[in-house]
Amino acid sequence: MDFENIMKRIAPPSNRPVRVKPMNQSAIVIRLTLLSLVILTIIGFFTYDDTDVGMLEGITATFTNFKVMFTEPHFNHFTFMEGLYQVLVTISLALLTTVIGAVISLMLGLLAAKNLSTPKISNSIKNFVAVVRAVPTVLWVLIFAIAAGLGSVAAVIGMTFHSVGYLIKAYSESFEELDDGVIEVLKASGANWWQIVWQAVIPSSMTYIISWTFLRFEINFSVAVAMGAAAGAGGIGYDLFMASSFYLDLRELGTITFYILVFAILLEIVAIRIKRHINIT
Amino acid sequence: MALLELFNLSKRYDQHTIALSDINISVNKGEFIAVIGPSGAGKSTLLRCINRMIEPTNGEVTFDGVDLLHVKRKELRRLRTKIGMIFQHYHLVNRLTVIENVLHGRLGYKSSVVGALGIYTKKEKEQAIQLLRMLGLADQMYKRSDKLSGGQKQRVGIARALIQDPKMLLCDEPIASLDPNASKIIMDYLQKISQSLGITVIVNLHQVDVALQYSDRIIGVSQGQIVYDGTPTDITQEQIHQIYGSDFDDLMVEMNKEKHYAG
Repeated sequence: MDFENIMKRIAPPSNRPVRVKPMNQSAIVIRLTLLSLVILTIIGFFTYDDTDVGMLEGITATFTNFKVMFTEPHFNHFTFMEGLYQVLVTISLALLTTVIGAVISLMLGLLAAKNLSTPKISNSIKNFVAVVRAVPTVLWVLIFAIAAGLGSVAAVIGMTFHSVGYLIKAYSESFEELDDGVIEVLKASGANWWQIVWQAVIPSSMTYIISWTFLRFEINFSVAVAMGAAAGAGGIGYDLFMASSFYLDLRELGTITFYILVFAILLEIVAIRIKRHINIT
Repeated sequence: MALLELFNLSKRYDQHTIALSDINISVNKGEFIAVIGPSGAGKSTLLRCINRMIEPTNGEVTFDGVDLLHVKRKELRRLRTKIGMIFQHYHLVNRLTVIENVLHGRLGYKSSVVGALGIYTKKEKEQAIQLLRMLGLADQMYKRSDKLSGGQKQRVGIARALIQDPKMLLCDEPIASLDPNASKIIMDYLQKISQSLGITVIVNLHQVDVALQYSDRIIGVSQGQIVYDGTPTDITQEQIHQIYGSDFDDLMVEMNKEKHYAG
């Protein structure tokens, strides 16, 4: 029968390889890119300049440093409580910038969502925000440092700025996921924009809003550490900077790393708890 | 006087796409009207032009004595509260409970702040409970609405429309995603609402047999024009053929009851 013929044709006797993927332009570009990366890597291995440090020597020295850092941490320039206080300063910086950023982004995110706004407003906000996001946070802080002076004020403004850029994109995209019909229904029943937003849009995207905000909080925590070191924003980052480039104290560097690690893990645990909680209710 | 009158209503999306042309309908209070026609004939556009969810290009819509096309936004909002709407995909807010979804029907009566905060009066809440009980959903009241079956969701949709205290219900393919059993329940409820509450019901339907069985009046739409307007008993095979542009025998319609048409 026909069916048998087709089944026979499924495995035709042929020596030619059968292509499954089409060999189009994008496939060629991807292959060429991979190939050139492989070539560059191989060339790199043969041409790098190791002056007088041997590969093996370098690796062992690094591990010795790590060993000193993490197995012999000590307190030299600050006490345990002072260190704790500094971490809390860093967390406060992260929290402040996330909260301010979230409030601003919620409002602008609504205006940036295509289904809640006009195309003109939505596009202009989205384009502006894309530019804000393209510039790294550290750079924003340094830009604002011109006006506010290097320190915590510049850090707060710069970090908020970048958080807003990030959260507007995240929020508006979760608002856009809402079924257009829900908006249509409420509009047809005479509800106005504010009522639709608070009664349908925000309840529907609450899970996304919370998880994106928390993700940004975690990012802001690590940025806040870096800001303490790079922009004099205070907190544990400043101690990190002093220990590494001023006192050259490897052991204290280890202590600070432990502080940051413990708090990062704590944040992660809290985040998981919150997410589990909102998924249930 | 008629509750709803459409006069020379047209909708043109651009120069070449004409969704509706010269629609003239007069609808009385308490009528149960089925709008039938092939996909893309303009049934949904017609329904949405009535409450200006889609802005008609020209023509007149008179609802309850008011010229709908020339009212201000605030007045339009007020008039929309008097027109309930029911959709194929229910469009409930999934994360909220059934009763919260029903109460959304009252938002049009509230100020921005009160509505946004979701503050409802005791009377409204009691009315919501009563409606849910009437529609057999008393046990599901506090469930999240995405936990319901399709038929139950559609009943929540009906409750949400009814709590608006509407004079008219517009139903856009209310049973297109439901199984025959749930479809029957929904159609029975719509019929009951029309008969006992005197609410005008306009239903877009794909199923000709359902339309013939339930409606007082059939409006056949084809390519944006009304090609039939009359009782279900008068409609002939030729007219259905004209609406769908195919032979009646080719349609998947069970017209087992000969009495439905005099053809």
